[in-house]
Amino acid sequence: MSFAIETHDLSRTFESYKKSEGLWNSVKGFWNRQTVQKIALKPTNIKIEAGQIVGLVGSNGAGKTTLLKLLSGLIAPTTGEAKVLGYNPFERKTEFLRRISLLLGQKNQLWWDITPLDSYALLAKIYDLDETVAKNKVKELSHLLHCEHVLETQLRRLSLGERMKMEIIGSLLHSPEVLYLDEPTIGLDIVAQEIIREFLNEYVKNRGPTVILTSHYMDDIAKLADRLLLISKGGIVYDGTVDGFVAKSEKLHIVTYKFEGEPEQRSEITKSELNSFLNSVSNKGQLESFKIEETDFEHVIHSFLQKESRVF
Amino acid sequence: MSFTAFYRRNLGFFKLAIASNLEYRLNFLLDSVFQPLVNSIVEMVLWMAIFKGAQAIEIAGFTQNYYLAYALWGTFVARITVNWMYEFRMIEEIDTGSINGLLVRPMHYYEYYLSQLLGYKLVTTTVSFIFPLTLITLFDLPTQWSRIPAAMALIFYYVIFVYGMSFCIASLAFIFNKVNSLTVTKNLALWLLTGELFPLDLMPENIKNLFLALPFSCGVYIPVGYITGRIDSSVLIQGFQTTTIGLVIVSVLGFFLWRKGMKQYAGTGA
Repeated sequence: MSFAIETHDLSRTFESYKKSEGLWNSVKGFWNRQTVQKIALKPTNIKIEAGQIVGLVGSNGAGKTTLLKLLSGLIAPTTGEAKVLGYNPFERKTEFLRRISLLLGQKNQLWWDITPLDSYALLAKIYDLDETVAKNKVKELSHLLHCEHVLETQLRRLSLGERMKMEIIGSLLHSPEVLYLDEPTIGLDIVAQEIIREFLNEYVKNRGPTVILTSHYMDDIAKLADRLLLISKGGIVYDGTVDGFVAKSEKLHIVTYKFEGEPEQRSEITKSELNSFLNSVSNKGQLESFKIEETDFEHVIHSFLQKESRVF
Repeated sequence: MSFTAFYRRNLGFFKLAIASNLEYRLNFLLDSVFQPLVNSIVEMVLWMAIFKGAQAIEIAGFTQNYYLAYALWGTFVARITVNWMYEFRMIEEIDTGSINGLLVRPMHYYEYYLSQLLGYKLVTTTVSFIFPLTLITLFDLPTQWSRIPAAMALIFYYVIFVYGMSFCIASLAFIFNKVNSLTVTKNLALWLLTGELFPLDLMPENIKNLFLALPFSCGVYIPVGYITGRIDSSVLIQGFQTTTIGLVIVSVLGFFLWRKGMKQYAGTGA
């Protein structure tokens, strides 16, 4: 089987220097710096089939963006190697860069001072696209994203949601075969998130690019991803389906209850604790209200990430 | 990669610089009209004061009119051959990681800013040319108009060399992050080495010859000296030669610094 993305012991270590508090330590640091090595990504082996949509989830600093940067050729690996569409990303060959796209949700990649239409015309030249084909593609994508009315407004004058739609069009203009989406819905309101999610869902299902998606919104992952990679402290800790992860995790129940004359209380308990918990609650007094809910994917992931970040 | 594709995208970058600068009208007018005007007046007043104070008809063999012509053309040329804006922008992009959005495109960072620099210089040069043109004609100052095309060719050739230096300095930002002071120091040194501060004729002969052997004198002294009739075409040809050598050196240095920088780059900020 051929894989669109394949890594073998791919890792990256960053070097920084440690500085203790205070002015004197700043002065001392001028000639005496204590360097610190931080492993951002431990040796990682992943194989992603062409057309697969992979959700990459982890807490801040877990190594998600480092992995994306390595796979897009932005940074060099410390050890190991990666192959994306058969290319070594860090060689940054033109043929490779023409076939991938990296969308950074927290950065502007289009040009700030000019209109999106001018930016797309420039991108068409950079990617050596036929002018008419590129124009038709912009028309089609802007229609799907409901944003034709802002195409002739300078990027700097657009709202965050509009800007993100423009960035998405820019990243898809050359029909990339591999698409890295780093937080595409970050900071957007619920309506904008939903529009972008729907659009991406339609796009990837119809065009079939290989996608790696990172997001802090689990709805993005649950809706789009057919494979989940959980990353923690620089290492992949789960690789499987979203449903598989939920099934494997210890299912939590949220119990909400209220005794007469007391405020409402909420507890999270595992399935094995459920019986004893119910007994203890019913023995405590007269219940006014009582509700048990099963946790969803978002909750399971949040509990997992919370547990992981506590270990730091 | 076909040459047509390369040409198409670089023409795009060239136009991008013009469109981006025209977007901010006040800034553009100040940069290309008022700054050169003020600069020209200051330089002229300064040389008039020097001649009046010295009570001399000639200094180092040249009359006041030669110095006024040198000052006017010098101001004009120095504005073309200096590169602050794009060098600072490149350093900032590398330091903050906003370069990431450009590194994933099928192009090289070197060509991206070189084409922009040339586009920006072309438009500001065209607009600010009005000042030497008007003032030289008005005061009837020494200028050999037929020499301007050859001098302009050297000036724009030198701009590519200047950009090569900017690329080397910006590449150091991968390793040292903030290197803006290097830009300031380099530009201060160039102020003297190019002959912008004063014509190189005023230097002791051996220092003048040393400066002429370096490519930096093509930044002001050689093209302006050639236009105003201070030097002949053999010095201009020497200028093309030294700039070529300089260009080779900064290109090789830039290649290695970029490669080393990219290996160390941590992709900060995104």
